[in-house]
Amino acid sequence: MHGRLKVRTTEEQRLLKEKEQQKKLTAYQTGMKQILSTRNPTSYDPKSFAISAQLLVVNPDIYTLWNYRKEVILLELDKSKSECKDTIIDNGICDEKSQESLDVTKGLIKFLENEIRLTEQCLLANPKSYGSWHHRYWIMEHHPEPNWQNEFELCTKYLTMDDRNFHCWDYRRLILNKIGMSLEDEIKFSTERINVNFSNYSSWHYRSTLRKLDKDSLESEINLIMNAIFTDPADSSAWFYLRWVLSNPEMTEGHRKQLSQTLDQLLELEPDSKWCLLAKCWINGIKKGENMNEDQIEELTENYKKLLILDPLRKGFYSHYLNALESKKLNNA
Amino acid sequence: MAVPLKDIEIKEEYPKTLLLEKHIKFIKQYGQSENDFEYGMTDYLRVSGMYWGLTALELVDKLDSLPKEEVIGFIQKCQDPETGGISACIDHDPHLLHTLSAVQILCIYNRIDAIDVEGVIKYVASLQLPDGSFTGDKWGEVDTRFSFCAVATLSLLKRLNAINVDKAVEFVKSCMNFDGGFGSRPKSESHAGLIYCCLGFLSVTGRLDIVEQDTLAWWLCERQLSSGGLNGRPEKLPDVCYSWWVLSSLSIIGRLHWISSETLKRFILACQDTESGGFADRPGDIPDPFHTLFGLAALSLLGFGDIKQVNPTYCMPQYVIDRLQLKPQVLK
Ligand SMILES: [Zn+2]
Repeated sequence: MHGRLKVRTTEEQRLLKEKEQQKKLTAYQTGMKQILSTRNPTSYDPKSFAISAQLLVVNPDIYTLWNYRKEVILLELDKSKSECKDTIIDNGICDEKSQESLDVTKGLIKFLENEIRLTEQCLLANPKSYGSWHHRYWIMEHHPEPNWQNEFELCTKYLTMDDRNFHCWDYRRLILNKIGMSLEDEIKFSTERINVNFSNYSSWHYRSTLRKLDKDSLESEINLIMNAIFTDPADSSAWFYLRWVLSNPEMTEGHRKQLSQTLDQLLELEPDSKWCLLAKCWINGIKKGENMNEDQIEELTENYKKLLILDPLRKGFYSHYLNALESKKLNNA
Repeated sequence: MAVPLKDIEIKEEYPKTLLLEKHIKFIKQYGQSENDFEYGMTDYLRVSGMYWGLTALELVDKLDSLPKEEVIGFIQKCQDPETGGISACIDHDPHLLHTLSAVQILCIYNRIDAIDVEGVIKYVASLQLPDGSFTGDKWGEVDTRFSFCAVATLSLLKRLNAINVDKAVEFVKSCMNFDGGFGSRPKSESHAGLIYCCLGFLSVTGRLDIVEQDTLAWWLCERQLSSGGLNGRPEKLPDVCYSWWVLSSLSIIGRLHWISSETLKRFILACQDTESGGFADRPGDIPDPFHTLFGLAALSLLGFGDIKQVNPTYCMPQYVIDRLQLKPQVLK
């Protein structure tokens, strides 16, 4: 129930719509009844199986229907196993000895490929359906000859269409475990996605999960961030990433100084950039344990006061730090 | 190539006051008949839908306008005698999401005796995996949403000890991200809905100590946009339900005051449907019981006098949580 605009309709349109809706509802209820009443543990009704696909394409959230289809797939896997005259390997695949066995395996694969196509159809209509993604992975796990490479390419394709779809990122991670992509390739992929669109929080997040930053990688990450924030200082993604990078124990005083100077340059161009001011506060406020001298406290206080005015929505947040500075001042005095 | 910020405009004509009577009517009418299109087409989420409507009504003290015995009878029929789990609807399959909703409803009604409690406990415990995570049902989908459902259900039944809590905490902890937030699985992107689930989980299990309080609170308060509404992830549109996930999360970690409650109130009130009643995700969209509950619950956390106090961890009336003598952890 998201993003459905309420539209004004005439009485005539309303009646027409109601009629259509009644038709759809009846079709849904009859379909469900047919499927659920023929459901049993030992066999399945091909007609019900076909109806369940139709209903899922319209609404992939009917979770019981995915379960029903999984039961049917398990039946098919069992059938394939028992039809194999030769030794059985795994997942219902036959030892490639007789033509007959080959046919059985082929039939099973065709069945599973159909199922994969169904999830693709569902995902194209609704790329955020938990049920479709899980079903797809489940089939792949039960597939005698899973083509993980194909799944991987599908992920890349989907992420090009919507680089914020977290289901797809999650699926990509599952597949990486299967095909063993190299870390370098994935870092390259996230850099590519970020360069296409700096304002892509998902890619920055993905990057953060790939490795622990060391001295060398820290340097290159700082450069990437600087590049992003100079391109669009108002975009938040890179700033979140910066905060994380700043918390890295490998950060040196030199890094901080360099960053601070770059931020000063940016502030000259964009004196009202709240992100830039906030980042300055992080850099200077990072040495929590150490005693700050009066000038440092003064500068931080100034920055937070500016932030209060620039970003009144988060007044409570900035006041929190102002209060902390205030008590620090009292302690120092 | 600056990308314009995604937000909506709050227009002057949008409602500014709480249309309480209209919402009561909206919820009462919703689900009068299986022949109603919206209602009939959503039987696959019926029990959770009942929880949304029923909790919304109880928050405005109108629960007695629903047929209590009918609701309880329906839930009884949704319990699977074999596994003990509860399904969305008769003849559908048991699932942890609906098991929690059912238990929440029965706790509000103070009628937990109506179902096979041991069955529910057995069901929840059966879904924990060796790494501490939970699947939503027997088909293996793992998600931190289910970790929350599991501990919320068990704690309402006073049987948290039926699972390995330490392992469960370990899994949730492994889902913490660079920004202090949480995702659905290890390394999954932070998302306000899942942050709520993980904080709710840690609140129930008393393990909020593992949270990076101020890092996370900053990420959460940055969800507020100029319209006053909150989004669920950076660069997304504001939405009433996300307003609840973010607000309850901030509330659990003691940083509710880090956002502007006046502007948020304005946004939530603007999402009311002045004709039919109910709240939509955004102004001008079609309202539904889901957003109506979360709209009202968010207003309750913001201190709206006409709405009963809601508990941020369980999204249930506070008096019910008190009656059960539960004390979910919150941070200062
Ligand atoms: Zn929503």
